[in-house]
Amino acid sequence: MMGTAESDVIKIQEEFKTEALTPGQLMRMRFVRHKMAVFGLVMLVVLILYSFGGALFFSEAQANFTDTKLRLSSPSAAHPFGTDTVGRDILIRTIYGGQISLLIGMAAVVVEVVLGVLIGAIAGYYGGWIDGLLMRFTEAMFNIPQLFLLLVMAKFFGGSVPDINLFGRQFSGSVIVIIVIIGLTSWMYLARIVRANFLSLKEREFVLAAHTTGTSNLSIIFQHILPNSIAPIIVSGTLSVANAILSEAYISFLGLGVKPPTATWGNMLEGAYNYVATAPWLWIFPGLLIVLTVLSINFVGDGLRDAVDPHALIDAG
Amino acid sequence: MSRYIIRRLLQAIPLLFIISVLLFVLMINTGDPLSTLGGRRVTRPEDRERLSRQLGLDQPIYKQYLFWLIGNDWTKVDMEGDGIAETPGTRKGILRGDFGTSMVQRGKAVTEIILDRLPNTLILMIPAEIIVIILSLAVGVYSALRQYTVTDHIITGLSFIGYSMPIFFIALVSMYIFGVNFKAWGLPYLPTVGMFDPKIGKTTGQVLLHMVLPIFSLTVISAAGYSRFVRSQMLEVISEDYIRTARSKGLPNRMVITGHALKNAALPLVTIIGLDIPLLLGGAVVTESIFAWPGMGRLFIDHLSRSDTPVVMGILMMISVAVILSQLITDIIYAWLDPRIRYS
Amino acid sequence: MKIKLWLIVMTVLIVFSLVMTACQPAATPVPATDEPVVVEPTAAEPAAPEPTAEAPMEAPMEPQVVTFAWTQEPDSLHPFYTDMWFSATLQQLYLCWAWEFDDQNVAYPNLVKEIPSVENGGISADGLTITLHLRDDIVWSDGEPITSADFKFTYDMLMDDANSVNSKYPYDALDSVEAPDAQTVVMNFPEPFSAWEANFWRGILPKHVLQPVFDTEGSMMGADWNLAPTVGCGPYIFDEWESGSFLRFTKNENYWKGTAKIDDVFLQFVPDDAAQTAALLAGDADLGTFIPVSDVPTFQDAGLTVFTVDSGYAEGWFINFRDMASPGIRDVVVRQAIAMSLDREAISQDLLLGLTHPVETLWDPIAGGAYVSPDIVPWKYDPEAAKTMLEDAGYIDTDGDGIREYKDGSPLVLVHGTTIREIRQDIQAVAQQQLREVGIDLAIESQDSDIFFGGYADGAPPAIGDQDIMEWSDSTYFPDPDTDYWLCSQLPSADNPYGYNYYGCDEKLDALFQAQIIETDPTAREAIFHEISKYMHDNVLWYGIYSDPDLWVVNSNLTNVKFSGVTPFYNIWEWDFAK
Repeated sequence: MMGTAESDVIKIQEEFKTEALTPGQLMRMRFVRHKMAVFGLVMLVVLILYSFGGALFFSEAQANFTDTKLRLSSPSAAHPFGTDTVGRDILIRTIYGGQISLLIGMAAVVVEVVLGVLIGAIAGYYGGWIDGLLMRFTEAMFNIPQLFLLLVMAKFFGGSVPDINLFGRQFSGSVIVIIVIIGLTSWMYLARIVRANFLSLKEREFVLAAHTTGTSNLSIIFQHILPNSIAPIIVSGTLSVANAILSEAYISFLGLGVKPPTATWGNMLEGAYNYVATAPWLWIFPGLLIVLTVLSINFVGDGLRDAVDPHALIDAG
Repeated sequence: MSRYIIRRLLQAIPLLFIISVLLFVLMINTGDPLSTLGGRRVTRPEDRERLSRQLGLDQPIYKQYLFWLIGNDWTKVDMEGDGIAETPGTRKGILRGDFGTSMVQRGKAVTEIILDRLPNTLILMIPAEIIVIILSLAVGVYSALRQYTVTDHIITGLSFIGYSMPIFFIALVSMYIFGVNFKAWGLPYLPTVGMFDPKIGKTTGQVLLHMVLPIFSLTVISAAGYSRFVRSQMLEVISEDYIRTARSKGLPNRMVITGHALKNAALPLVTIIGLDIPLLLGGAVVTESIFAWPGMGRLFIDHLSRSDTPVVMGILMMISVAVILSQLITDIIYAWLDPRIRYS
Repeated sequence: MKIKLWLIVMTVLIVFSLVMTACQPAATPVPATDEPVVVEPTAAEPAAPEPTAEAPMEAPMEPQVVTFAWTQEPDSLHPFYTDMWFSATLQQLYLCWAWEFDDQNVAYPNLVKEIPSVENGGISADGLTITLHLRDDIVWSDGEPITSADFKFTYDMLMDDANSVNSKYPYDALDSVEAPDAQTVVMNFPEPFSAWEANFWRGILPKHVLQPVFDTEGSMMGADWNLAPTVGCGPYIFDEWESGSFLRFTKNENYWKGTAKIDDVFLQFVPDDAAQTAALLAGDADLGTFIPVSDVPTFQDAGLTVFTVDSGYAEGWFINFRDMASPGIRDVVVRQAIAMSLDREAISQDLLLGLTHPVETLWDPIAGGAYVSPDIVPWKYDPEAAKTMLEDAGYIDTDGDGIREYKDGSPLVLVHGTTIREIRQDIQAVAQQQLREVGIDLAIESQDSDIFFGGYADGAPPAIGDQDIMEWSDSTYFPDPDTDYWLCSQLPSADNPYGYNYYGCDEKLDALFQAQIIETDPTAREAIFHEISKYMHDNVLWYGIYSDPDLWVVNSNLTNVKFSGVTPFYNIWEWDFAK
């Protein structure tokens, strides 16, 4: 029979017992502690609201409305960001352009993650000649600087996809092309990480246990090992969105990106280059928006990296 | 060690082969070098047909690749269009060092075209790389040693910004401030076009002056990114046990930092720098375009837009070889510096 | 910890505000104050105790240099290995044509004593033989005389397949070229070729330099002369070419017309229009071309002179009326409605700052419009009339989405294609909007020029007929009105993959074009073109957007500057800096 003192101790012990935190909750706590990451997240939300929410105030027709009499007017009350070379309002164009840029960023990363994870997982899991072949291929792609590969591919695929109609809006087919080629040229880094992860994880006991119970290879890959390597994939994927947005800006700037009239922040900069001195509002606003977006993503990615594994080796990739 | 090197070099061969096939297929199917031949009018059909035949563009793609790889002086080609191959070919192929002739600058050898411009790109890239290394080490170490101070925060903020800007934005802004606006305000200003002022000539002073803005644009992003990396590496190393041991042994802090911490923190930087070569080359493309620097990046874009396959392939293959070699060299240096690593 | 966040936010904001302040619109551009590189003549002092009557210093201490800002680097200096305008334009500096063209684009003799004609016996009555009589005082820059042997050599080199020249046109129309004596060249044609004056002898090759190369290497493709033409026959000779940076020509002391006044011509390669503009405004360059129209007022404000020179080019919509084109574009009513739906005046006034004007036919910029039918009534911007026309023709918007439909209910969509140049993107945007106002859905697309101008075998969209309306700037064989774009024999197909009639075969038009090229009587030829121009205009087979003249910006200190549309620098040896 427990004495009152003992039962009191047990009660106090029970009070002091805190619930064990799940890894997810731990991650979230660490993330929130990282002030810059929170700031970045807030900025991202603002930018997303700007691009997608702003569409509620202005129609796409307004974004494409040309008025040649008003061309190249500097910022004013009627046109807070000024107008471009055919008199289109730049503010509205950055709103709709932002949608495409952000979309391209995220969609390209989806392509990249799918490719990278598939190739990395298969190479890491099966090993042997499959691994050798896939890694040769990965290395080959790695050895060509991304910008060069992007330029060549952009030229190759340019114009091969017709315009698409989605949700009542028309997009230039080059958006699809850009998404695909950015994805096709950036999966290598992720594949390497996933492969390294798989190489180490496949020797662990839980995998051996799964083998002995007869689980299929596919199931082991996707349901056992992959969830344990989610962390670096998330971090890498987040930072890749920034890289994808920058890549789109680079090739659009060089003239091989998304084709007008579909606006993106990148291709708004393409024409604007000739007006460095005379109409700086053409390139300042889209440029600043790109920098802000990439900056916030970098903050968030930094925070995620710390949250996921505070002792992880940080690569400057 | 030498066995490792030889093995890596041998592995590079199929790698280069894969790269070349990939790129060749892309290039050949893209655009038409004969469309306007750079002129304002569309090429006449008879001329297009004749040139297509004489430049070997009417061959199936595998044949074109074969001729590019091993030349066609071992076979005959049909130059007259009668269907009978009668003229012996003159190309030796890239494996024998013949990169072919440009389709845009007819008759000029690709190697000549590239080597004309290569030194100019190296003049930008090598100093840029050195500055990146020095800056990122200096800033990263400084920031790490003053963790959580005001300076650290400011440096972190600036690093993030620098790291997030597209290179052409940096180039445009710096061009605008230091080139256009400084001049308008009457201050001594930096030149923004070309490698030297032709009226003064290609003197060292001129080239150095013109190098400032392009190199600045090239280094900002990499330096910002790597300084963060060095900082985090330093922070990790400083918290290691052996540093504490060195300190407790009474070694002056400076010696601890430079003698122990720095060396260990800087090590991974070696590999990273090696991997940065392709990024620097890519950045060079944009920077050279903006500043009219007569280098290989601009050459690439000019010839890509005119679908000049021999030159584009030549540049890409040279870059691939350079990247592979630089990776090998950094791996060797890394192994040499870090006795824990031994390659079998 | 809060400090950390705020400090970073502050840094970010400070940097951004710095960037914003720095990016204010530039101050007024510095006016071009190019000091002439001449030593001022010492003022004559009337009562000066100068013993010696020293003449004022006239000879400049340093060479006079005129600097061009060139936005494209030539790919070759050999006249037959390049079609680049930025290379061909330079030919009047270091090469010589048999006859050249003045600022009215009228031919005047250069190497020949007079332009051959029927009156002076230079052209035979049947038009099959043209005889040139060369001057006897013409020499190459190294002193060798220029003779008919050089002409014959040029012809032989062009026709030899081993040389792989860019184009054999129009020399493949000749039966033979003979050189009976050193000053006579005879051209033999199988049938009359009325466009001969505009197209022959554009650049003569030096036999004594290139023949040895051809003999040893079997081709002149790899000759050093192609990239370093140190022997020439123009007012200047090639001096130095630093790839990627500059090209320099220096004056030819042996030029038979006299020595040029300016010592050196220096071409600085700049990356793009913005750099060119900056160089011109700063006075770093004296001449620029192909300048963006939007910069013209800036140049004029800065005191530079802007020349507009007709070179036969006009920007227009080429209509695809082949079988694979959409039924809408093949309906003449739709085309006429389109012609009335675009406000071309606004395009010229607003987008091109009033520096040019709409044109009605491809022949407007030639010879003051002599080949344009006087009966042509220009299309007026009248969207209401266009709407009525479309309604009456049965194109009605049944579902209220703003776009008219064919009788079968499918929407009236037309595809418009062009290259990626900015002005073309802008015109596409405007056209899309204005055509939508009359109920036509214009789907727009654009490609890089080497894809857009590719051939049928490459699957280039215009070539395979994917686009209903194709826009670019083109000319005839200026200054001749001849063009072969609409010949039925030029239709591309699997059997004829290199054909470049991307528009369609109209029997009547085909017959007219075939007739004009062999018509030797100038008046009759003009009449044929009147018929052609009226037919094409009324049926809207080519819709002119604006005249596309060459734009030259020149330092106002340069005197005697004139430009030709065919041979731009035809009088460069007379240019001089004002003292």
